[in-house]
Amino acid sequence: MSGIWIYSEDSVIAKELLTAGLELKVSMSQSVGVITLAGEEQDAFIAAGADKVCILKGQNPWSESYADAVADFVSKERASVLLVGGTLRGKDLAAIAAATLRTGLVTDALTVQYVNNGIETTRLIYGGLAIQTEAISLPAFVTVPPRTYMEAPAMAGRQGEVFTVKVDNIASGISVSSVCPIIREGADISTASRVVGVGRGFGKREDLAMAEKLAQAIGAEIGCTRGIAEDSHWLPSERYIGISGQKVKAELYIAAGISGQVQHVAGVRDSKIIVAIDTNEKAPIFAAADYGIVGDLYEVLPLLAGAMGEK
Amino acid sequence: MPKILVCYKWVLDEQDIKINSGNLSLDSSRAKYKISDYDKNAIEEATLLMEAYEGNVDALTFGSDKVKQSLKDALSRGPGSVQWIGDAAFEQADAFVTANVLAAAIRKNGTYDLILCGEGSADSYSQQVAPRLATLLGIPVITFVQKLCMDGSRTIATRKLGDCTEVVEVEGPAVISVLPEINKPRIPSLKQVMAAAKKPSQEIKLAELELSAEDIIPKTVSISVKGYIMNRKNILFKEASQADNVAKLVASLAQEGLC
Repeated sequence: MSGIWIYSEDSVIAKELLTAGLELKVSMSQSVGVITLAGEEQDAFIAAGADKVCILKGQNPWSESYADAVADFVSKERASVLLVGGTLRGKDLAAIAAATLRTGLVTDALTVQYVNNGIETTRLIYGGLAIQTEAISLPAFVTVPPRTYMEAPAMAGRQGEVFTVKVDNIASGISVSSVCPIIREGADISTASRVVGVGRGFGKREDLAMAEKLAQAIGAEIGCTRGIAEDSHWLPSERYIGISGQKVKAELYIAAGISGQVQHVAGVRDSKIIVAIDTNEKAPIFAAADYGIVGDLYEVLPLLAGAMGEK
Repeated sequence: MPKILVCYKWVLDEQDIKINSGNLSLDSSRAKYKISDYDKNAIEEATLLMEAYEGNVDALTFGSDKVKQSLKDALSRGPGSVQWIGDAAFEQADAFVTANVLAAAIRKNGTYDLILCGEGSADSYSQQVAPRLATLLGIPVITFVQKLCMDGSRTIATRKLGDCTEVVEVEGPAVISVLPEINKPRIPSLKQVMAAAKKPSQEIKLAELELSAEDIIPKTVSISVKGYIMNRKNILFKEASQADNVAKLVASLAQEGLC
């Protein structure tokens, strides 16, 4: 078995995975290559460190329909590792390829290392309560969430091998129609530098205006708990923060009226400073916070918006 | 009249698991089990389809010897019958093993028009079982579905994929994984709970399934599980005067360079 391969339908994520792939290249002494659907990126991948680029060329634009082609390719290459960009489409494809080749797959890995002739990964379980270290025998398939690694920088004068594989993926049994982009109101909270999160502490929808005032005062975006988005439908589900929702990596995250279930905390833990406001001093959100105010958000938020607005 | 199967997992309720502060090991001695939250949406969706198209719904689960405790809860949510595989092999099972076991149980039963799963499980959330299962059964998979309907032998699903939605159609049997937003699982009524006790359940022994020894050896092995503790400052302002608390908070944030 030889070769570390990277696949993502998103070329930015493929370049992030190259950073992980290049670390494995050093520890495993194996070449690293990129499998891509985007032929125009071939030079960029090589500049960013790929030794090989395999362009899959099929007739079906639906990226999931390349699962068999990816499985076929890594099987013929006798790849030892396949890193897949952990978008939802990527995870779907990775699981199909893993089932086809009867290999192990770890999804949403936070770290990927070569240890004891195998791959060792860490990932969150129990909604973010715990971190699990797993060993996967080779060949090992791993999906890595977007923005886990920095994009590998381009280097001048790199050479690599590029080849194209023709793929017959017309008959996937599935027809796709009406692809519709989700229009986000405001900025993407996953990249916002400041976020105010709202939870069950708000009694009615109109009261969210208080959180919006604070957000305006400090230049933040509004996020929420799963309950606010999916049970109350007060905010669109793109605003929901948690292990299965958006991950916030803000400089400042302010949780207002959020008790702090593990699933929510898992979505904000990469934030630099976490502030919590809640009436219940025993709420788990305070254990996850740098600063907390025990108090009624209806009283605290207007004061805080006023004070921060003056600054 | 569609024949629908819904798969579910019986998991520890993570809200009851405590982290031991010394070695960060997990204490699940007080944790109860529950049907994985995402699978409740799958069971509800299967039941809604059954009600809309007059089909029938069977449930299937693979778990430890404790999985038998789940049957009544599962049946009270709508399915007409449940099959369960309770085996110690579950404790080490990864998605590879789970999909192999479920696929073997489904092959033993014949075919279904649709097989529904949650998008992931509440404990490991690896999101692999639906696509793996479909691949093993040689049928298409439609993942991350927020809306689902059937038209004869066709299934029309709306998937939601982060930055877009797409409508997908498939002819014939398929595996579907559903998102939590697809529905709001019912809270079973007393009548439904009572009725559940009369519905049939059947145990399938792992040995009865056509599985090779290799099929139940996991490809991924857990080396350690540790509480994921954050090192936070945990400074709490709890004076009676909220104006004082806010002033202290703002002073702290100013020190952090945040205002």
